[in-house]
Amino acid sequence: MEELFGSLAQGAAILFNPDTFLLTVLYMIGGLLLGMFVGALPGLTTLTAMAILLPIVFFLPPIFGIPFLLGIYKGGIYGGSIPAILVSMPGTGAAVATTFDGPALTRQGKGRKALEMALFSSVAGDFTSDLVTILAIVPIALIALAIGPPELAAVLFLSLIVISATGSGAFVKGVLVMAIGLFVAMIGQDPIGALARFDFGFFELRSGIGLLPMLIGLFALSELLLSIEKRAATYIKAGAKALEGERLKWAEFKASGRTIARSTVIGTSIGMIPGVGQVVAAFVGYAAAKNASKHPERYGKGELDGIAAAEAANNAVNGPTLVPMLTFGIPGDNITAILLGAFVAVGMRPGPQLMVEQGPQVFAILLAMLLANVLFIIVGYLTIPAFARVVRIPKAILMPLTIMFAFAGVFAVRNNPTDLYILAGFGVIGYVLRKFKFDVAPLAMAFILGPEIERAVGQTLSLSRGDLFGYIVFERPITLVILLLTPVIAWYLWRRSSKLQRAARLLAPEE
Amino acid sequence: MRRTFLKSVALGALMLGVGISSAMAQDNYPAKPITMILPLGAGGSHDLNARVLTSILPQYLGQAVIVKLVPGASGQTGTAAAANAPADGYTLLFTHNFFDQLQQHVKELPYKPTEDFVTVARTNSARMCAIVRADSQFKSLQALFDFGKSNPGKIELSHSGQWGATMVPAAQLFNWAKVQVNMTPYRGGGPSLRALLAGDADVTFQFPSTILGQGDKVRTLACVLDEPTLGSPPTFASLGFPGEIGEMHRIVMAPRGVPADRLAKLREAFVALQEDTTYKSLIKRLGEDSNLMSGDEYEKLRAQQSKDYKALVDSMTSG
Repeated sequence: MEELFGSLAQGAAILFNPDTFLLTVLYMIGGLLLGMFVGALPGLTTLTAMAILLPIVFFLPPIFGIPFLLGIYKGGIYGGSIPAILVSMPGTGAAVATTFDGPALTRQGKGRKALEMALFSSVAGDFTSDLVTILAIVPIALIALAIGPPELAAVLFLSLIVISATGSGAFVKGVLVMAIGLFVAMIGQDPIGALARFDFGFFELRSGIGLLPMLIGLFALSELLLSIEKRAATYIKAGAKALEGERLKWAEFKASGRTIARSTVIGTSIGMIPGVGQVVAAFVGYAAAKNASKHPERYGKGELDGIAAAEAANNAVNGPTLVPMLTFGIPGDNITAILLGAFVAVGMRPGPQLMVEQGPQVFAILLAMLLANVLFIIVGYLTIPAFARVVRIPKAILMPLTIMFAFAGVFAVRNNPTDLYILAGFGVIGYVLRKFKFDVAPLAMAFILGPEIERAVGQTLSLSRGDLFGYIVFERPITLVILLLTPVIAWYLWRRSSKLQRAARLLAPEE
Repeated sequence: MRRTFLKSVALGALMLGVGISSAMAQDNYPAKPITMILPLGAGGSHDLNARVLTSILPQYLGQAVIVKLVPGASGQTGTAAAANAPADGYTLLFTHNFFDQLQQHVKELPYKPTEDFVTVARTNSARMCAIVRADSQFKSLQALFDFGKSNPGKIELSHSGQWGATMVPAAQLFNWAKVQVNMTPYRGGGPSLRALLAGDADVTFQFPSTILGQGDKVRTLACVLDEPTLGSPPTFASLGFPGEIGEMHRIVMAPRGVPADRLAKLREAFVALQEDTTYKSLIKRLGEDSNLMSGDEYEKLRAQQSKDYKALVDSMTSG
């Protein structure tokens, strides 16, 4: 323990070296701005930006290069919530929960408030989780190692239940939409044997349905279609308000304090699960906030607290996600894989040896992440007015622009023309579903989590060698506990949601 | 209907490409930027290698080389895109031997790898080692084989994905040793290493650079080549394995039919790259090496690979 604090102090000495500190800060701010920009434009993903800019660490001293990349990483995650709030266009699965309340707030002329709430709750969640990671890196590493395929399958299955039970529509409709999502996710190749399936003879479908065309079609295009139908009467109602809209008030932020704290705990815990942490965290955080609120009926109609719940949760994942990479040299996703490449390039080889041999450097990086959060409050606060000004663009121009960005962005990711048909197709599917009062979020969630569950279940079956029951009962106690808890939690959620619906019906009999 | 539309669009693009390229046939190739298609996603080792290659290549070709990521369907989407591109030297494919020569024996592909592509260069290769946990009862590969023979299916092996870079050498090795193991696919090398460290798997295959970072947590049983940094464990060949095993070749291909002078120019550029000090230092900092194999030489290896992989696939899918 003492050794740990010694490394921490040395790490701080590296980062806060007065000779280099100012330049480090400037590189980091550059990275944050760039990350925000690429994150906000669909198609220009954070991942691509980091891959292209990775060679920069070959030429810069590590104390500048690594903070620059970390800046892109952190800026990019927030950048993704900007189009989600303004034009209902989630660039990643993690931003889907933000579209529940963000666009509604924008329509009410509260776009700037929403962006600021997203910024402050993101930073709060991220900062806390980074701090927890620094203090508890060893136990987090042990937990991350203990989560194998059976545990992952059980946790993801439970998440699907939570998501379907806390959706905005009727339970049966949620399950139906979820089934569609699960099927759509099966198109392409199966995650275990890599065999082609459900491609209906089209080679173009063999690579499966892309996440981005599906998300943008389902959320952004369908939203546009609905607005066009209403002659854009309610698309964005900003005009009369102040130019950039109202700022977030301290009282409003404070009112969401509990939500942010809850979501941070949820996000940090889920962050220890490799892979799909951000998506699951955002949804579970949102569901928990809605569940705990005195006014659950306001969620999904422009509730600031909903933004705080989703954003704090998906950012709180960031700290623990890095732990397996730093302690075992195992990257959890492609972004951490690039960071791994950057560390190797500057002479650090992540793995168990890293903490022993280069502990101070590891802590310098972790402290740099804390610093990135502090800087990001300033950078974000100063740039939000520029983004919020989007609402001033006349509808007749904004809507075609959004469509253009949707198609261009989707094409840029995989350079695949088929993705454009898929985008358009999901735009129509989303429109039809929403017309019939279906919540489309379960479709997206099932699409993202389905293949993960399928892979984990397949791996579990392989590991169990035919004796699944014995394997889980005798060798996987954590899985067993989660599986036993699942029906209990499901029953509780179902009872609560039906009670709420009954109450809502009593309150608003005219609907 | 949609298919014919897609086809006609592709045909139109093709004719446009042919038109442009024939107009430039007599010029100094390359006269415009070259596109290098990667049938893989962002952030992987091919992507990082490509970033280094394309930052140095322009010095030798006089034109920019643009990375185009076309992932999907285990590399089939990007490979098909390159196969359909005009053979004018302006489209290259950066792939590896398992997509190139193995996949054709397990999947129905919309292209014929050997007939559709010719090797420009093998830029480098990554070589696998078989590892177990440091506290494992298996001190040598032979001990693992012996246990496996008397306990069929008991040895649990984690690999990075069906017919991928760690699954194929594992299958080759245990097939040759006539040991039946239980193979579980993970999503890439990282998760398969986690499985080993967590005790879910008994043995897995990794690259030396990754093993180095694990310090004394793992034991290396055997490698493709001599690896002094790992304490020179035995090589697969010294244990009696015949033929090529455990090497992932990173290869740059061009659609076959590319004019001979253009192919020669491309091949020369890759040879010249080997002497470039910036290239050498950058690739080293990625943790990779720069052991080039010329296009001609690799073409011979390719033919042998195809036979070996076919035999492997036949033996694994028939039983």
